[in-house]
Amino acid sequence: MRLQDLKKADTSLADKAVYARYRLEALGSFAKLLRHGPAKMREIFSWDWLRTLSGSSNLLDMATYTRSGLYREANAYAISEVIGGIGDLIDGICAMPDRVVIHEDLIPPEIFFGMGLAPFMAEMLGIAVPLVKADWAEKYIDIAENEGIPPDTCSLPKCTMGIALAGQMPKCAALVASNMPCDGGMASYTVLEREMKVPCFRLDIPYNFYNDKALDYFVSELKRLIAWLEEHTPGRMDWDRMKEVCEERNRAMEYELEIWELIRRKPTPMAGEPLWLVHLIHMIANAGKPRGTRTMKNILDMTKKIMENGGGALPEERYRAVLWNPPTLIFPELFVWAEQKYGIALLMDMLSYNRHPFVDTTSPDTMLRSLAQIIVQGPMARHTRGPSENFFDDLFYLYEYFSLDMIWMAGHIGCKNTMALNGMFREKCRERGIPLFTLNYDLSDTRIVSPIEMRKQAEAFMETVMKAEPLF
Amino acid sequence: MKQPFIPDFFCQLIDQPVNTLVDQAQAQGRKAIAYTCSYVPQPLLSVDGLFPIRVRAPNVVGTPMADTYMSSVLCSYTRSILELALEWAFDSIDGWVFTASCDHLRRLYDNLEYLNKPAFNHIVDLPHRSGEAAEKWLASEFRILADALSQAFGVDTGDQALAKAIKVHNQYLTLMREISAMRMEDNPPVTGAMFQTLLAATSSSPKDLLMDQLGELRDTLGKSEGVTGYRARLLLAGSHCDDPAYIEVMEKTGGLVVAERTCTGSIPALSPIPENGDPFETLARQGLENISCPRMMESFQQREEELLEAVKEYRAEGVVLQTMKFCDTWGVESGLLTKSLRKAGIPVLNLEREYTMSSEGQLQTRIQAFLESMGK
Repeated sequence: MRLQDLKKADTSLADKAVYARYRLEALGSFAKLLRHGPAKMREIFSWDWLRTLSGSSNLLDMATYTRSGLYREANAYAISEVIGGIGDLIDGICAMPDRVVIHEDLIPPEIFFGMGLAPFMAEMLGIAVPLVKADWAEKYIDIAENEGIPPDTCSLPKCTMGIALAGQMPKCAALVASNMPCDGGMASYTVLEREMKVPCFRLDIPYNFYNDKALDYFVSELKRLIAWLEEHTPGRMDWDRMKEVCEERNRAMEYELEIWELIRRKPTPMAGEPLWLVHLIHMIANAGKPRGTRTMKNILDMTKKIMENGGGALPEERYRAVLWNPPTLIFPELFVWAEQKYGIALLMDMLSYNRHPFVDTTSPDTMLRSLAQIIVQGPMARHTRGPSENFFDDLFYLYEYFSLDMIWMAGHIGCKNTMALNGMFREKCRERGIPLFTLNYDLSDTRIVSPIEMRKQAEAFMETVMKAEPLF
Repeated sequence: MKQPFIPDFFCQLIDQPVNTLVDQAQAQGRKAIAYTCSYVPQPLLSVDGLFPIRVRAPNVVGTPMADTYMSSVLCSYTRSILELALEWAFDSIDGWVFTASCDHLRRLYDNLEYLNKPAFNHIVDLPHRSGEAAEKWLASEFRILADALSQAFGVDTGDQALAKAIKVHNQYLTLMREISAMRMEDNPPVTGAMFQTLLAATSSSPKDLLMDQLGELRDTLGKSEGVTGYRARLLLAGSHCDDPAYIEVMEKTGGLVVAERTCTGSIPALSPIPENGDPFETLARQGLENISCPRMMESFQQREEELLEAVKEYRAEGVVLQTMKFCDTWGVESGLLTKSLRKAGIPVLNLEREYTMSSEGQLQTRIQAFLESMGK
């Protein structure tokens, strides 16, 4: 599906100016890398993923094409800050090449920042690049499969392994992984460790974690991690710096929680990318940075402004939905389309719905304990590793909390953990009278289910189950 | 290849999901506790009138009901067990103990709990690494399990009872090790399929009811003529494989399986359990250090080295690395192990399989081609 298949928003001159402004800002995020000199530029632009990311305006086009007014601005702003956040991470790699730590997606970076290291989330590549070029990951998936990785393994770790096998991963001092979020993700770090020839630390997260015993165990794991990083990298824990990082995270979180409170209103004053995509970068990959706080605050302000103007974010909100499982990376336009075609406001997704305990910055011990809680109860970690109740209870809670009309389950074929829950979940939804749409697709591979097929599935659900009339 | 054979007594025990010895023990008032993973400590399920049975799904024909709930992308062992559970094949079992060992077994636990809730259903939280903190954690998990068993079945699961169970279990392990050791001979009196039959039969039955027959078999085998005319000694490695028929196909083709480095095989599951010290801590240490499943995220190198060592010890001429389809941990690791084995000059055949034996002809062709490629 292309954007041209959608209805272009009637845009004013101001709307056009918004696009131009944020396009420039997004370009600036990569242009700032030039300060590292031509040799560094040659090195980093040898990475296929960086060339793809920096040369594309797809995300901004997607976020603005069908939207106008303040909601358009919020989307354009969100995208520019998302690109800015990614730019910051790459900037960190360039500035501190001997301090780069590549880490797994569900390990938040606060500890690395506290130690003066430059974290880089390996899976961010498989997440972010397909958002701008849907079939990008396929080359790397094939590389991994040609090395003997089974075709049925989740395509995200497969893409990550392929990137490492192709020598496209930034050089690093160490790898940090864990047993999250699934067996495939966990196992992929053995390949990364062998291929990149760097030491790897693995955090062990208990299965049942809502108890003190599990938290004690995991705090000891975090202490082991810090000691290990001090041994294997030039990073040293500076608890004052750590405190600043955690306080910054807390500030961003306060804003985000306020946004969540506001979007409970009908019609919602904010939806879509300013919620899920911003969280992904600023609360997961690059958490604890002033840019994240600023972004959350500005989105909150725009949310309030939309509310003050007396309307909702969408021109006509007819339905409210949650997207469970990771977002549809190969087809981020899905919700832009659903928003325009059926008036569906996407309010929440699995990766955004963190339990959000604030970090208690009283002492190093309290910080570690709070971070331990954030990690073990993190999105996906608690859903795919823990008991099935974690998965079901969150969804039913969200359904009530945000007054939703339906649940969209992104049924990623490679996610064995969640595929094995769909049968139970279907029955539980029926018992409660909750409309459930299970979208069959693959997270990173368009060859399994194409975006057009995905859209057709959504159309069939909306028109047969929801009896929805298309808005255009 | 000329082969010895194994008494029907053992063969019959593996034909049914729950065999007659289980019924016999239950008739005496004993309680059968099912388990699905090697990390479940068998001695703890053997105390004071309890006995463990490792559940299998022999003769399962398709998994349509399990697929409806678990989807068809889960490992077929877990789907087969759920299918039989939904057909009430395990209803006579008194309790289930799981470990949070992999995505598939965790979800089997969830689905079983939802669809056919056993009267006793427990899941052990299993660390993904070894080391002091992990051992302490697992020992405490075993104590929680012991308390739950004690409460549910009114049995003594205290330190002394467990120490006694470990001692008895070691007698079983010694017997099996003695039989397994015969496989190191040039003409071993026991084939891989025979040994797998013994492992499957003994792990899915109350062991005390077959120790005499096992002892007799050991003595008989010690005096028997060995296997002759095989083309190559093979080591079987990889995923859960409890079906002797799978190995039999390899042996019919001329490969003799002399050892299995699988969670259902001979290495390292038959290692003796130390009988001194705190029995819960001993079991935890034994579990985390001696059972080598790729779900243990830090120990790839150890598994790699142990596999190479086993090849030497059993004088295997080639390795069959079989992985259960949809198992991510083995799936990813087998690619790396293949490289290591080839680098060490050891011929290796990669096979992806389903839990239930199928495509016998195809398997035979693959084995044949493998043996030929080895110049055998």
